[in-house]
Amino acid sequence: MRRFSIQGLREVLLPRPQGPAAPDRTSAAARAAFGPLPLMTSGGKQRDLAAFLGEVTLFADFSRWELGRLARNAHERTYRDGEYIYQEGNPGAALFLVQTGIVEITRRDPKGESVRILALERPASFSEQAAIGIDVVRWTSAVARGPVSLVALGKSDLDELGRRFPLLANKVLSRLAQILVLRLEMLIDMQLQPGEAQNSNDEPGK
Amino acid sequence: MTNRGNNPASTAFRVGTALAAVGLSVWLLWSLRSLILPVAVGSLLAYVCLPLVAALERLHLARSLAVALLVALMVLIGLLLLGRVRAALPAEVGGLEMRVRGFHNLNERYRVLMGLDGSLKGGNRLYRFAGQDLDPLIDQVDRSIALTPEERARLLTSRPESSDAAANRLIVYDLDNQRTLEARGLTVQKPPPIPGDGGGTRRAKGPLARLGAAFSRWIVAPVVFFFFLRDVSGIKRGLLRAVPNRLFEPTLAVFADLDRALGGYVRAMFLESCFLGVFVGVLLRVFGAPVAWAILVGLIAAAANPVPYIGSAVALIGGLSFVIVADEIHPLLPAIRPENAVIWLVAGVALIEVLKNSVFEPFVVGESVDVHPVVIFIVVLAGGLLFGAVGLLLALPTITILKTLVASASHQLKAYRLI
Repeated sequence: MRRFSIQGLREVLLPRPQGPAAPDRTSAAARAAFGPLPLMTSGGKQRDLAAFLGEVTLFADFSRWELGRLARNAHERTYRDGEYIYQEGNPGAALFLVQTGIVEITRRDPKGESVRILALERPASFSEQAAIGIDVVRWTSAVARGPVSLVALGKSDLDELGRRFPLLANKVLSRLAQILVLRLEMLIDMQLQPGEAQNSNDEPGK
Repeated sequence: MTNRGNNPASTAFRVGTALAAVGLSVWLLWSLRSLILPVAVGSLLAYVCLPLVAALERLHLARSLAVALLVALMVLIGLLLLGRVRAALPAEVGGLEMRVRGFHNLNERYRVLMGLDGSLKGGNRLYRFAGQDLDPLIDQVDRSIALTPEERARLLTSRPESSDAAANRLIVYDLDNQRTLEARGLTVQKPPPIPGDGGGTRRAKGPLARLGAAFSRWIVAPVVFFFFLRDVSGIKRGLLRAVPNRLFEPTLAVFADLDRALGGYVRAMFLESCFLGVFVGVLLRVFGAPVAWAILVGLIAAAANPVPYIGSAVALIGGLSFVIVADEIHPLLPAIRPENAVIWLVAGVALIEVLKNSVFEPFVVGESVDVHPVVIFIVVLAGGLLFGAVGLLLALPTITILKTLVASASHQLKAYRLI
């Protein structure tokens, strides 16, 4: 198994679009905020929830015992096509991991119409900030596209983990913090890219 | 997408099903109410023991093994305690001796306190003030602990001629007791058999049968304890699996609030029980009770404390049984004398109860339960009337859970714009 490295992860996560082939600003930002994190494990057929958790970047390099403990606190949910996983404006209480299917992240534009931001698939994680437990109000919605199965880990599950297994909970929380910091860095990086900055400067003259 | 939810027939079916489910649950709860206490005790004990299992798991023990170890340890402690208690309990003749001694000491101390002469006449100012109320009470206690002629005969035949001072003193006590019964105009007889009962059937449903019935009911408690401890996360996950997706996150938050409230209640009750146990133990030591007796009564009072008022009642009974039965007491305070020890003891237990209710409960338990004392009082009474001892024991945790459930569910449903 490759060692989890924040520097390495940063290189993979931070797209540096160059030239005309560069993706547009919205999709790059969306990828930064919600995009799947790279697979860190060697893969293989997962047989149970713990094995699946081991595939997710968030829990890369967690021991079998730790994954087993986490699996005991996690919840498997299934959604049918078009069903909301969460809705914009509602409080957040859990992070989700895509096990099978595709999840679409959408956001309402000023006219109130739903705009598709990104599609996520296995083993993406999303809504990490809700698990950290700040009073989170969601700024996007997540919708199932086709049948979807997810693994949810609630803030309350992490709180419980913290009471019973503080070292493990601390490890999960610091990993969540790393991921959130990375996503933030990626968004800031988008703002500071020369090409993007140029585009931004051009906009008022249009 | 089809709009299934707005169909009136579908709505009626759902409401009907929900009502039927609620009705069935209430009927089941009422029919199986004798199982409520063992299940509740097993679950609450398991809840209290969860941190211990987690501590064993942190040593990388498998959960089943950790639970099995804990259960084995508890069984071992239980057997040890049972052995100690059985050894401390007097045998049949020992029980008769205690009653003789208790009867004698009670009446002797009452006579001295009230300034009565040998024929139980006269009396001091205190007797003139309270004697009319206290006499019937003493008569009632005397009747209940005095030996019947058959029991006296058994006691005397079990004690052959002896020069042992204690045995002789017991015989003196017995003779004194007979004189007291005569002076008080009391007769002690075997209770008459109930008509149509024949005595036999009653005996057949006696202690052994009752013990068997209780055992068959209480066998549920360790089973619930074991499985709750072993698979509490599985139970929670199973409940959440039954919840529709749109209610998943609100339910997670409600479960967390319930866990917090129940944890707060258990912690507060544990602290309060410790407080009561320590104070009762110290009180009994002040009265000169042996350390082992003080600790035993303190422990039982602490264990009984979750049932409102029962912890203090245990303390009172334990203290009184020492103060009355002991031939000689050596209190640590000079103001306490054998003849007024009962009054001091009642005052001491009352003071502990007042401290518990006025200082401890508002600041510790009140914060976790957060319900007005009048509501608690009414709920405890109602629980006792409806479910007896079970209702008394479970009134407080039930009201804590119900209050949190209603408050948290309505808050979450509003936050998620579901109502």
